[in-house]
Amino acid sequence: MRFQRFPTAPARLVLAWRAAALFAAALITGVLLALSGRDVFELLALVLKSTVGSRFGLEDLALFMIPLILTGSAVTVTSRIGLWNIGGEGQFYLGAIGAAGVGLYMPGPPILVLPAMAAAAMLCGVAWIAVPTFARAYAGVNEIITTLLLNFVAGLLTYWLATGPWRDRVTGALASTGRIPVAIPEIWGVVHWGFPVALLIACGLAVIMTRTSWGYEVRISGANPGAARYAGMPMRARVIAVMLLSGALAALAGMFEVAGTVHRLQGGMADNFGYLGIVVAVLARKSCLAVIPAALLMALILDAGIVLQTQQLAATVVLAITGLVLLLIAIGDELAHYRPVAPVVRPASPRLPPASKTTI
Amino acid sequence: MTPPPVAPGTPPVLQLVGISKYFPGVIANEDVSLDVRSGEILALLGENGAGKSTLMNVVTGIYQADAGEMILDGYGARFSSPQEAIRARIGMVHQHFKLVPAFTVAENIHLGWADTPRNASPAILEARTRELSERFGFPVNPAARVEDLSAGEQQRVEILRVLARKARLLILDEPTAVLTPAEARDLFRALRAFRAEGNAVIIISHKLDEVMEISDRVTILRGGQKIGTWDTADCSPRMLAATMVGREIVRQNLLLRADGAAPRGTEAELSLRGVSVRDERGVETLADITLDIFGGEILGVAGVAGNGQRELTEVLTGLTIPTRGQVLLGGRSAEPGAAAFARHGVGHIPQDRLHSALAPSLGISDNMALREYGMPPIGGNGLYHADAALSLAREIADIAEVTIPDFAMPVRNLSGGNQQRLVARREIRIASRVLVAAYPSRGLDIGAIATMHRYFAELRDRGVGIVIVSEDLEELLNLSDRIGVLCHGRLMAVLDSAEADIERIGLLMGGRTDLPETGAETKI
Repeated sequence: MRFQRFPTAPARLVLAWRAAALFAAALITGVLLALSGRDVFELLALVLKSTVGSRFGLEDLALFMIPLILTGSAVTVTSRIGLWNIGGEGQFYLGAIGAAGVGLYMPGPPILVLPAMAAAAMLCGVAWIAVPTFARAYAGVNEIITTLLLNFVAGLLTYWLATGPWRDRVTGALASTGRIPVAIPEIWGVVHWGFPVALLIACGLAVIMTRTSWGYEVRISGANPGAARYAGMPMRARVIAVMLLSGALAALAGMFEVAGTVHRLQGGMADNFGYLGIVVAVLARKSCLAVIPAALLMALILDAGIVLQTQQLAATVVLAITGLVLLLIAIGDELAHYRPVAPVVRPASPRLPPASKTTI
Repeated sequence: MTPPPVAPGTPPVLQLVGISKYFPGVIANEDVSLDVRSGEILALLGENGAGKSTLMNVVTGIYQADAGEMILDGYGARFSSPQEAIRARIGMVHQHFKLVPAFTVAENIHLGWADTPRNASPAILEARTRELSERFGFPVNPAARVEDLSAGEQQRVEILRVLARKARLLILDEPTAVLTPAEARDLFRALRAFRAEGNAVIIISHKLDEVMEISDRVTILRGGQKIGTWDTADCSPRMLAATMVGREIVRQNLLLRADGAAPRGTEAELSLRGVSVRDERGVETLADITLDIFGGEILGVAGVAGNGQRELTEVLTGLTIPTRGQVLLGGRSAEPGAAAFARHGVGHIPQDRLHSALAPSLGISDNMALREYGMPPIGGNGLYHADAALSLAREIADIAEVTIPDFAMPVRNLSGGNQQRLVARREIRIASRVLVAAYPSRGLDIGAIATMHRYFAELRDRGVGIVIVSEDLEELLNLSDRIGVLCHGRLMAVLDSAEADIERIGLLMGGRTDLPETGAETKI
């Protein structure tokens, strides 16, 4: 039996290997926890109960999924055109800032204020990614560097607003604005309307990518810029549109977090959702629809991590487990490229067909 | 010059016994045995995918054989890397030169060579290169940068580099593909001199005339297996072609119009008026070209690669907007942009079709829709109908005679030949006015070339103008009604192919217009 690496990995194999990777990660974690004297089965039961096994757990999962779906989509759309938006974190903050600014200072009924918050958030996100976008489209500046560096600026800007001009003057909460008077209505426990909207957005993006000529041009441009040029596609316009869209998506995640979950602008509130969006996108393998299950997996990992922390496991242990899961999944994805090939036998007869026929 | 006599009992320089090499799903070589004797030139002939390159890659240590033996001078040998093959004095000159363009000739010769003196100054390297160049009879300029050299000069550097490492067996992969006829003659002269010293040469080629001219013996591979070895003196081009393809190739006279074929047009479908193109460095790559392409004719464009062919095809297909001059489509100033040209009936089979005409990771349907995604039934109102793209892809695959198990599978899973056929058919579909084909037969085997040429003749008979850019003069003379010759971005002449002959075109390719006595129209 010989194994050979193929350039493509069928989805079926990827899923199978990922399941194996998750199992292996759970096994390794379990063994290590057992060696350090923990009761693994008790922990496992607790994790299951407080994630998928209870209503509160499920609500938490959904809340985690909202920003992850959006930041994951933000990275996925750029990956379709062959670019990487590493700045989801920064655009998330800018979305949060835009939403909080409107929410705090624009009086009015929620039916008007909420859309205004969303619009302001997306505008801010678009503005934040505008410089990397135009630098990429007109000067070929690597968008990975520019979007990444702007994250730090955005994070500090949020801290400055939350401790300076917009700080909470009522309760004096640390690095936080006051409570925003409007909130996205809840539909199920603490889960708000952001959840179905995020799901709809992911599905809508999938439709746009596969069922519109705009999406077709984006896919061709991403798969081979040379072919896009050859066919006379307006590649620069597509790059600009996709990057701005990406910024708006990540910013919308910030808005949902501010208006649906946290109800304030807080320093550090992005909580790595922007970066985890990259992980979600990698797990989704460029598919806009697969962002949803990928976000669910990520949410499960995050949620399980919090449960473990309540059991006196250090936060670093949780990070290590996350890393282990992702590492094994990456290995699984690579292994999915390998398939067994027929063992070499010397064919005595019949004689082989001509090579030109065997290559399909 | 005849090969030197060899003492009886001398073992062959290289002997392959039952070499097999397998790739996933493909048998590249199966039980191939051949020998190369000292003082001979062996031609290795075969279609694409016949396993010639794989076999030579086994000999030079790039691949390791899955079965079989390699015997050098009577002793078994096994190379686990190209370096070991070089130490065993086997040198290969690849079709795509493996030189560093930004380095000088002397630096390229000395790169990665154990004999290179440490801390050598450019002057020392150049002196050594000059000495090597004289010793082996390959004139090069040691101080020149490789990127400034012509393809023929680069090839000399490549060969010299191999010879400097004391190669006794020289393997050349399609060496004349990038050469002018005169350069090819120089190369053959040098190869004969090399042979006269008791060395051996293996030359891989598609070109039968060349094989007849240069080789002492011919080995033909087909489907990864050896069909046989013959003394070249006993062979004819016809017999070689038939043996190589496995059937008789019927050579049609493609210049002959079918009954009821559209006549040659009287008004130009596509015209260039004083077109010049400068690249981003400001170098003029196309200079003042005036050219008309009529419906129902085939216009050949000859020239050594890199003399403005790429720019010419890009201007003709709307990919490049000329710096000066005008492009007219059907007599009117053309709407700029490749998409507009395609919409107005200009098809384009580009030079590097596998890299620029297809998106390798996307499905076959998506790739076949590339020209028609903007119009119904696939496009319209900003939508993309995947089912319509699928039926278009089925239609194209059908007519191109390519069997496809799954239209959603990435197009790169198809063989190169099949990818080319799909691209050709996709472009022919939209070419209602003009088809521009750059090096259409490059990378295809004889059978596939014949098919491609038949496509062109049919399209011509339907009244479409066809531009074929090629460096294969034989191909151009067989197909074209007129032949234009490019040299240094200038159109040296446009000849009626009735009055054109290889020698004359060869001179024009080299930039010489003064020699031929016939008073042909030569415009500059």
